[in-house]
Amino acid sequence: MYDRKVVRRRRATLAVFVALSIALLTAYFGESGGGFFHAFQRGAQEAFAPIETGASRALKPVRDLFGWAGDTFDAKDENKDLKREVERLRAALADAQTAQRDATQLKGLVGLGEDEGFPRGTEPVTARVIARSPTVWYSSIKIDKGSSDGVKVDQPVLAAGSDPDASEVGGLAGKVTSVSGGTAEVTLITDASIGVAAQVMPSGATGVVRPAVGNPRDLLMEFVEGGRVTENTTVATSGFTIDKGQSLFPRGIPIGRVSDVDLDEVEIYQRVHLEPYADLKSIDIVQVLTRRPRTSQTAGVIVP
Amino acid sequence: MILSPGAILRVGLLLLLAVVLQLSGLSQLSILGGHIDLVVLVVAAVAYYGGSVSGCATGFAAGFLLDLMSGATMGVSSLVLTAVGYGVGRFREVRDPSHGLLPLGVGAAATGGFLVGFAAVSFMLDVGASVSPLVIRDAIVTVLLNTLLALPVFTATRRLLRPALRVDPLEVRRRRRPPRETGPLGLRGLEV
Repeated sequence: MYDRKVVRRRRATLAVFVALSIALLTAYFGESGGGFFHAFQRGAQEAFAPIETGASRALKPVRDLFGWAGDTFDAKDENKDLKREVERLRAALADAQTAQRDATQLKGLVGLGEDEGFPRGTEPVTARVIARSPTVWYSSIKIDKGSSDGVKVDQPVLAAGSDPDASEVGGLAGKVTSVSGGTAEVTLITDASIGVAAQVMPSGATGVVRPAVGNPRDLLMEFVEGGRVTENTTVATSGFTIDKGQSLFPRGIPIGRVSDVDLDEVEIYQRVHLEPYADLKSIDIVQVLTRRPRTSQTAGVIVP
Repeated sequence: MILSPGAILRVGLLLLLAVVLQLSGLSQLSILGGHIDLVVLVVAAVAYYGGSVSGCATGFAAGFLLDLMSGATMGVSSLVLTAVGYGVGRFREVRDPSHGLLPLGVGAAATGGFLVGFAAVSFMLDVGASVSPLVIRDAIVTVLLNTLLALPVFTATRRLLRPALRVDPLEVRRRRRPPRETGPLGLRGLEV
């Protein structure tokens, strides 16, 4: 059994405190900022301010500890987000760089075709490199165009230079050595089996360009006849036949720039070093010249 | 609870400590979006051990102190905490609970009730802006944090108020334990 007095007392207490709260609320809400309760509140805050300041300082290490823990969690989440962002941006950057590289190489090939001495009417077919020789010799690549695109064995292949914006827009890269319906294999001019009849421009000295195997940035021009070769001159295909078979390379395709000339003791025999215009280390896009030029001059390949 | 000057002083100091801790430390600790609400837990603990009258008086005092020191609209916290203190006190009086883990549920319910009541009063008064759904998430986190903290707060409050308590729920629980069956067979049940 409940004592009625207790019940009444309890209810009265509740009613009193609720009424007090509502009265306080009403009074506070109804008065202006300078009213009694507002002033009382300000005074109380001023009075308790030192206690709160002291407590705040005392609890700062605890807050810092929790803050550190919270920051650590936030940092982990942020780290995950940033990692995802980095992955996304890396992918975007890779796409952009790939596109830029393709554009650069295509620009180089276009520039090469527009060169004054470049053979006309060759109907170049642009192809993408889909495989590369895994050895350090850089001797062959596979392209994504084949016989169905008009590509045939022994057709010359051009590649862009490393910097098409410079004068070296690209040059001879090799020749097609085998063809299937949709692909073709290209043997590069750095392969030991390749030799190209070449001519130094404008002196007219002729010779045969062969690779310095193992160094794709160095070609050797041997059997040089017709005059002294000087550095920084251009070497292009001569279109001469140096073999009994059909000549392959049309006249006027740039091969490289003379980088060094070695003379023997009697200065008769010259050994000319060329730096190829085509960037043979990193070819992505090539052009296959699918038609012979109208002029009859072509160069040949030495069969080893 | 025996309303002696000593008990009132103890509760007053406890409330002051809780409010200062709340304003100077705990309110600034954001844990997963929520924060610990110590004042509610203290009010609930006092009401749990002291009953409804002590509960609503403590709730009013705590709310008054909280509004006073925080600069909030005076009367809002008092009103809601009065109701919370009364509710917890009545629960204790009507159900006469004695389970050791009950403070967990009481703390959670008191916190939830306070948050809902405070939101309701605030809505009725001066909140005209749209409210983000994140408020609900923060409220849930606060309830969970307070639930975790309920046992130590209730234990500390009980120890502080023990001299002034008419009935200690833990003592009631101890008295309800079955007698130990020890001693010779013939004396079992006689608590020898």
